[in-house]
Amino acid sequence: MNNPNDIIAFGEAGWLARLTDFADTLDSGYFANRVADILRAQPDITDAVAGIDSIAIRFDPKKITAATAHKLLSDALERTPRHSEQPASPIIEIPVCYSKDFGPDADHICTHCSLAPDQLIALHTAGDYRVVTLGFAPGFAYLSGLSPALDVPRLETPRTHVPRGSIAIAGGFAGLYALPSPGGWNIIGRTPKILFDASSSSPFVLKPGSSVRFTPISEDEFYKLGGTP
Amino acid sequence: MTPIARITMPGAQTTIQDAGRPGARHLGVPLSGAVDRPSFAIANAVIGNRWDAPALECALSGPDLTFNAPTSIAIAGADMAATLNGTPVERNIAISVKAGDVLHLGGAINGLRSYIAFAGGIAANAFLGSTSTYISAGIGGVDGRALREGDTITLANLAMQSPSVLPSQLAIDPKDSVVLRATTGPEWSLFDDQIKAAFFSSGFEGSMRSDRMGIELQGPAILPPQNFSMISSPVFPGSVQIPPAGAPYLLLSDAQTVGGYARITQIIDADLHLAGQLRPGTKIWFNKVSPEMACDITAKKTALYEAWLPGFSFT
Repeated sequence: MNNPNDIIAFGEAGWLARLTDFADTLDSGYFANRVADILRAQPDITDAVAGIDSIAIRFDPKKITAATAHKLLSDALERTPRHSEQPASPIIEIPVCYSKDFGPDADHICTHCSLAPDQLIALHTAGDYRVVTLGFAPGFAYLSGLSPALDVPRLETPRTHVPRGSIAIAGGFAGLYALPSPGGWNIIGRTPKILFDASSSSPFVLKPGSSVRFTPISEDEFYKLGGTP
Repeated sequence: MTPIARITMPGAQTTIQDAGRPGARHLGVPLSGAVDRPSFAIANAVIGNRWDAPALECALSGPDLTFNAPTSIAIAGADMAATLNGTPVERNIAISVKAGDVLHLGGAINGLRSYIAFAGGIAANAFLGSTSTYISAGIGGVDGRALREGDTITLANLAMQSPSVLPSQLAIDPKDSVVLRATTGPEWSLFDDQIKAAFFSSGFEGSMRSDRMGIELQGPAILPPQNFSMISSPVFPGSVQIPPAGAPYLLLSDAQTVGGYARITQIIDADLHLAGQLRPGTKIWFNKVSPEMACDITAKKTALYEAWLPGFSFT
C-alpha cells in the first residue's frame, strides 16, 4: 500500500503520488500507467499522467473537492495490484543505423563504459525493451531493458536540436525521439521508422507497455527504408 | 470554400489556436491552445463567436492581411498598433471589414501575444478535437506550422450569437510588471531555505528564451537542491522548473508532459495567462498562496469571466 504521505498537492487542483516501494522502474512505470488509466475513466479527473515512478492527476474543482480527488487517487493506488506481470505485447522492430554521423555520442560512451564500438551495438540490440512512459520531449519514449553495461549520465550541456528518429541512452534508460526536439541524452544511432502519425487518434506508434527490439542496419538500408539525412 | 483573407506578411510567429487538447498528456501530447486564454476569448466574444473558436495567435509581431469579402474581426491581448487601411483600430471591439481592406499589425508595444478573431472562427486541421497548432509535432492549424506569406484564412462558419460589448473590468492590457501567484511545487521542500526565501522575495525578468513551450526567467540564481536528481515526472502548464544553472523555466501551453527538473512552484490557473504576455524585461514577482486560496481565487476570477463568457475556464 502506498503511504498516504507520498501523495502531495500539485497545484490548486492536482495531486502527485510518488511510488516508492518498487524494485525497478519497469514495475513502477507499469503500475503508474495502470493507475492512470483507471483514473482517466473518472469524469471529474481531467488529466491522469504516469511518470516513471510517479503519477499526477488534475481534477475539476467545480465538480469535486481536493479531498475527494485525493481519495480517488489513493483508492486507485491501493486497489491496483502492484507487482503483476506485464502482459506480452507484440514486438515492434526498430531498425537502427549506428553510423558515426547518426550516433555522435557513441565514441565517448565507448570510452566511458570501456567498450569497443561493436560491443556497444551488440549490447544495445541484445535484449527486448518495454516502453515505460512517453514524455520529456514530445513523443519521447523511455525504454527499460537497457544493459547495465551502458549506464551513462545525460550530457552536461543538452543539444538544442536532436533529429527525429534519434536513438539515445542515459541514466540507465534507452530513449527514442519520435519527433525533433531539444535533448540531453547520448545519441547512438537513428531509425528511419516513422514513429508519429498525426492521422491516428493515438499518434505515437510506441505506447506505454509496447515491446521494442532494435535491429542494426547499414546506412544504405537506412536510406532505402525512407530515412532522411 | 472561398478564403476570407490572405496573409501578405506573416509576423514573427502567427498560429491558429483554440482552447487546446486537454486530457491527451498520457499520449505525450501537450495541451497547446491560446497562451493568454482570456484575451483570446475576448477577441472571439466581442464579435459574437463562442469564446473558444479558432483564432490567430500572433507572438512578438503580427501579420498583414488583405480581406476578400466583408466580415467582422476583433483584436485583443498585446497592443501591436493595429491599423486598417492605415487608420489605427482599437482592441477589444468588433471591427467591420470589407473586400480589399488591409489589416496591419506591427510589433508588440506591450505584452507579447495578440489575438485576431474572425466572425465564425477559422477553419483549420483538427487533431484530437482541436485545431491548435503544435509546431513540434506538425499538428493542427495550417499543416501544423506558423502561417506564411500567401496562406489564406477560411471561415469555419461556426455557430454565433449576437456580439457583446466587453465589460470594462474584464479588459486585459499587458503590463511591464506582473505578480504571479503560485502554490509550492512537488520538490519545494527539498530546496535550501535561502533559495525558498529568495524565490518569493526577488524580482525576475522575462528573457529572450521564450516560446509557446515556456519562458526562462532571469534573476537571482535559484539553485536546485544539492545533489538533486529525479526520474522524469509529470509537469503541466504553469509548472516552474529549476534546471541546474538556476534560471527558472516557466512552462506554458505547449509544455512537454514530463520533465526531470525540480518543480519549485506551480502558477495558479487564474494567473497563468499573465505569463503568456511576458516579454524580455517584464518584471515578475511570485506570490505564495496555499492550494485552497488558489482554488478560491481561480473560482472567483472564472466566475467573473463566465458571467460574460458561458463555459469559460482557465484550464
